[in-house]
Amino acid sequence: MNQWLDERLHISRLNDKFLRKAFPVHHSFFLGEITLFSLIVLILTGVLLALSYEPSGVLVKNPMDPMGSLVPAAYASIMNINAMPFGDMLRRIHHWMANLMMGAGLMHMMRIYFTGAYKKPREINWWIGLLLIVFTALTAVTGYSLPFDNFASTTLKVVVGIASSIPWVGEWIGQAAFAGKFPSSGLIPRVYGYHIMLLPGILLALTGAHMLLMIKQKHTQPRYAKELAYKKIVGVPLITQQTPIMLMLALLFTGLVILFAAFIPVHPSEVFGPPGNSSPIVKPDFYLLWVFGILAILPGSLEFNFLGGVFNAEFFGAIVTPGVVIGLLFAVPLIDRSSENQYYAENPTDYPVRLAIGIAFFMMIAVFSVAGYRPELVQSNILKESNANTILWISAVVLPALTYFAVIGIVRGIRKFRETDQREMLAAAAADD
Amino acid sequence: MTKYRRADPEISRRKFINVALGTAGAVGGLGLVTALAGVRPPIRITASKVPAIAGDILVYAEGPDAGKPIDISKLNDKLTHAWPQGKDKTGAPVVRKDEPNNLLMVFKFAEAELVAPTDLKATDKGVVAYSGICMHLGCQVGNNASKPGTLLCPCHSGAYDPRAGCKVIGGPPPKPLSQLPIKIDGTGLAATGPLNAPYYGSTESDWASLLEEAKTI
Repeated sequence: MNQWLDERLHISRLNDKFLRKAFPVHHSFFLGEITLFSLIVLILTGVLLALSYEPSGVLVKNPMDPMGSLVPAAYASIMNINAMPFGDMLRRIHHWMANLMMGAGLMHMMRIYFTGAYKKPREINWWIGLLLIVFTALTAVTGYSLPFDNFASTTLKVVVGIASSIPWVGEWIGQAAFAGKFPSSGLIPRVYGYHIMLLPGILLALTGAHMLLMIKQKHTQPRYAKELAYKKIVGVPLITQQTPIMLMLALLFTGLVILFAAFIPVHPSEVFGPPGNSSPIVKPDFYLLWVFGILAILPGSLEFNFLGGVFNAEFFGAIVTPGVVIGLLFAVPLIDRSSENQYYAENPTDYPVRLAIGIAFFMMIAVFSVAGYRPELVQSNILKESNANTILWISAVVLPALTYFAVIGIVRGIRKFRETDQREMLAAAAADD
Repeated sequence: MTKYRRADPEISRRKFINVALGTAGAVGGLGLVTALAGVRPPIRITASKVPAIAGDILVYAEGPDAGKPIDISKLNDKLTHAWPQGKDKTGAPVVRKDEPNNLLMVFKFAEAELVAPTDLKATDKGVVAYSGICMHLGCQVGNNASKPGTLLCPCHSGAYDPRAGCKVIGGPPPKPLSQLPIKIDGTGLAATGPLNAPYYGSTESDWASLLEEAKTI
């Protein structure tokens, strides 16, 4: 068959150009692949779910309620999906997979950051990768809004509120993006359009660009490759050695997620119930918890008018701060540059400042995420209503600072240890002579 | 004879094509922008969406009595959700629940418990009504289970004190909840005016025009 195809499509050229791409063999290089596998599983399960989901806010009879109360059609269709063979499982796998795609993507980003792989010539792929993370988060949020249960409708109202908090144009943007004043009849079809067409389209296009650039520019080589064959590409080719590894990893990973989904329910719409008059306790999934935390500890009195625009706490907490954080990530390759083309992955401990800034950064995100549990912290008497904000703000500054100096200290210790070790080895070698 | 190059007075073919293509593309692209006009549908205000005005009666928003007038003998210091019910042009009663921000909370306290900044003139025998929508990001405020007698928004833990004009006693809300002036009308409740301040998400000017519209619908 290969020959038949080759005579017509010259696939051997494709083979030479792309399919022989050498993949470095190192466990940290599989994080990006796991992200890709999750995307594929998400698309497959998403297509299956889309076959039965009804994107509409029209009120219909609740299939779960013998009294026949009226609920949005979207919610009713979720109840019907739950009743289908494997329907609930599909929803769970889809949701867990989305969480893991974000997780794997973020860890992939950490690997790139800590090994300096974002430096010249790979800046463009760093930026594409960041866009992928941002759009994955957006896709996930629109996704868990679709069941339109009480949780989802509350989430959407908060999202619309955040969009509307932009000075001057917010009101217009909120209405343009979510089909009128919340909750309009066009809301669910609009979010559905975003979730199944616009955002996945963007994700696929960006993923394609990400892969092509990676093949064109090649991975940074792991450090063992330096000793093995200096300035040569060390790794296994995509076809045929890397492919079975990838397949095995994909199946193992998907199997684990399915096992996970089978035992741990996620977003149980039937528990949240249809949209009602009592908001449930809403929390975003883990990757947005830090934004939620900032919103929870910013005082509402932070509001002022400037040239007719209203600048309020929601705008600073949910748009400005994440904007600055993401902006800083985008600026990483501009701040930390190398004049030469980066060839080998760097040892994180050789760059203590970068390592420490990175870990301090994640520490800060972690503190803000904990701040997302402010009401629980207050209720369990760990913090008091009066001092919760102060303590959380102070920890958001002090803990990252402490982390920074701790990392620098530890790295220095490691280096000193390594140097003494080398010196002793040399001394021992000299004594042997 | 010297060789000379004739200076072309006209633009080159390449330049002409580039400009022509660019212009066509720009005009076509701008034309597509008009298609975006539809992304923001017009807002149609109906009688079921305008805010509560004087004369509206309060009806239960949920439970077995949903849609029936509030019975003041059943009110207590826990929140009771209510919708304002007004009349449309034909005089038929219409519950104003198509605007979720119209959700109200009604309480009955001992009269002495109500303190400033509650607008005491707008209460009647300890019965007081507030907007049920958090001023932070528009979630529905609920009872605070761990601090009985106060209200807590489940979204970002904004806390309010319903005995003191629903002033903010914790969390991020920028303003207290608006209070609806009411009076006891038989066994039920009637609004004697609109909310004393705009509800969540509405600016002063929007609010004024909404109230204008409420009177004409």
